[in-house]
Amino acid sequence: MSKPEFVYTTYIKTTEDKLWRALTDGEFTHKYWMDCTLTSDWKAGSRMTMERGGEVKNDCKILESDPPRKLSYSWQSVFDPDMKKERPSKVTYLIKQHGEIVKFTVIHEGFAAGSKTLPSVAFGWPMVLASLKSILETGQPLKLDPATIKHMEMAHEQA
Amino acid sequence: MSKPEFIYTTYIKTTPAKLWEALTSRDANKLYWFGAYQESDWKPGSAWKITYPDGRIMDSGEILECEKPKRIVIKWRNEWSSELKAEGYSRCTMEIEQTDGAVKLTVMHSIDRPESKFIGAVSGGWPKILSNLKSLLETGTVALESKEMKSA
Repeated sequence: MSKPEFVYTTYIKTTEDKLWRALTDGEFTHKYWMDCTLTSDWKAGSRMTMERGGEVKNDCKILESDPPRKLSYSWQSVFDPDMKKERPSKVTYLIKQHGEIVKFTVIHEGFAAGSKTLPSVAFGWPMVLASLKSILETGQPLKLDPATIKHMEMAHEQA
Repeated sequence: MSKPEFIYTTYIKTTPAKLWEALTSRDANKLYWFGAYQESDWKPGSAWKITYPDGRIMDSGEILECEKPKRIVIKWRNEWSSELKAEGYSRCTMEIEQTDGAVKLTVMHSIDRPESKFIGAVSGGWPKILSNLKSLLETGTVALESKEMKSA
């Protein structure tokens, strides 16, 4: 990768409003976001937390909120002592309707050199976004177990 | 600078066998690859190409590795744009892995050439093709039709 960033685009058969709700409704996020619940009033300047099992894993702050087209927030992973020391990175969502589908792009950038957060989010985002697409198109999220998949990846790298 | 590459991972509720069929069958390709399709006998050393619905050859190359239903490596060069063709051969790896709740598909496409326009082009194309493939396998229909593909 030339720049320390993660960029991912997916196309989902849904509407901009439904996608925005799926991204910002705490109860709904819990269904597909690797058991996390995202909580915020989603206004610029407000805090947003990603909690799992009552513990905040990622501590965020809304930077820009323009429903249902654009959202950006800072991201601080606090579940790992090294990541907690890194400067916050930045996530931007771009949402655009094209006929019956929505183009959804996630840009996660602003990582320090040697960031531990970047590989962690680059591993997590595809799972979250694949499960999001599934729940919006089929009504069912994917049943993914990040721990098992991580284990497989590590076995792969060592092979 | 490290070499230009595009990496995309998605998770699909299907089986490795069905995903393999969708990736390697000409008729299945047409359903989600905007009418285009790959042709090959999928053996290492064999020729490989992608043909547009109107018959033009889009890309061509050779199968470098093929391990059903897990891994395909293709030596891949664009054919329809002289500018992209001049960049020479890229390498595309597709990997399929069964995980607990879904099948993981990773596409890695790289070229040994700085500032590659070819990698720029495939970086826009793969997310559309793979989004369609996931929708097709999970819902029976694709997300994007050809007309939307151009505007999106």
